[in-house]
Amino acid sequence: MPLKMGERDRCATGLEGLDTILYGGIPRSNTVLLTGSCGTGKTSLALEFLIHGAQKGENSLFVSVTENSEKLLANIIPYKFFDKSLIKSGRLVFVDLPIMYERLGMTKAELSMEEIDLLVAAISDLVTELGTKRLVIDSITSVCYKLKTSEKIRDFILKLGKSLSDLNCTTILVGEVSAESTSYSSFGVEEAIADGIVLMANMERRGDLLRTLQVIKMRGTMHSRAKYVLDLTPMGVLLVPLLKGGSTA
Amino acid sequence: MTPDQIGPQKIAAELSEMPPASAISLQMSVDNYLDVIRGVLDLFANKKGMDTIYVTATISSEAIKRVLQALDIDTSRIYFVDCISHIMMGASAAQQDDHTTLVESPTMLENLMLKVEYLIRRSQSKDKLVVIDSINSLAIHNNNWILSEFLHILVSGLRSREAFTIILSVEEHSTPEINNMVNLVCDHGIRAGKEG
Repeated sequence: MPLKMGERDRCATGLEGLDTILYGGIPRSNTVLLTGSCGTGKTSLALEFLIHGAQKGENSLFVSVTENSEKLLANIIPYKFFDKSLIKSGRLVFVDLPIMYERLGMTKAELSMEEIDLLVAAISDLVTELGTKRLVIDSITSVCYKLKTSEKIRDFILKLGKSLSDLNCTTILVGEVSAESTSYSSFGVEEAIADGIVLMANMERRGDLLRTLQVIKMRGTMHSRAKYVLDLTPMGVLLVPLLKGGSTA
Repeated sequence: MTPDQIGPQKIAAELSEMPPASAISLQMSVDNYLDVIRGVLDLFANKKGMDTIYVTATISSEAIKRVLQALDIDTSRIYFVDCISHIMMGASAAQQDDHTTLVESPTMLENLMLKVEYLIRRSQSKDKLVVIDSINSLAIHNNNWILSEFLHILVSGLRSREAFTIILSVEEHSTPEINNMVNLVCDHGIRAGKEG
């Protein structure tokens, strides 16, 4: 379907509920912060985004920071639509960032400004080389721990976002926050720079713990700002509206 | 909508007239509860060959399965969303399998909708039926506001997927508020009385 004047091309996530919330998907080449506390389904959602992309013929890259990709794949939900041939064919690629650090000689606990430039260049080169159209970095918070200062974090995310956007790559940066946090990111910087923020949370209602999802912001599109309840199933992430009659928030 | 009072044997005939995507309110007496379940499941799951998603909040899925087996009704096309076994601490008896999905509590109405959605997506059958057993049991655990909102979203979603919905209610336990809530989302009402 041709785009209307001023309308941006969409990267349909393939998650039916989320694409409805976003009026068709993430505006292509946006950098989105997918943030939430542990156990809220961030990694599962991000991975599903990549699988659907790979199935549509878009090269997809998962950069794992905290756990090695073999372990990640072993623990992932057995998606009915997941075909291992996507990995064999190179449509879906997993890279462990600690290995990249090692190869780039980034062995110190804190990265220098030069090393930040080197890391941005290395990720961008990988995206170019693989022809990546969808990228997930899980988690950006772990990368930020190596940057330490707000200035460095801002510099890293700005440069990375710009570079990936120029490469027409749609990116999800997975962020981790504590359950009590009122901020959308651990360092308070990531949320200000990202084009979009998708918040995943655990919501308690009368003793029941519900997994929720809410799009806080998304540049380049209208979107619902309502809270949705989600379930992680072998058919993928499913979403339904949060029933307001029982809402505590 | 005034429900017509008919016997359980005629329910099947009445239901079979309904077009796809219909939502039916089926009010019954405590005395003919099992007859009605048998009539509905035998007609849709077996004779019509529809995949049937049975949401049980009244008695456990294990208990219903036992009844259906005793009545020699094939349960291979019936998929249970069991909202009561877990809260009764009877989850171990009702193991989750391909035919049974547990919801932790009947208060988790969103999760109930999500499980129904999951089973609908998983189903290969063209025609699908969703049975809610029962609105009165759900009303024990939820207030009318949230229950009304739940029914509206659930039934609208099922209509858009062309699924057939039957909402069971027990006459003796119903209130005018519950009846209004059900009537608002249903196209047709059937009142199952004694045969004859």
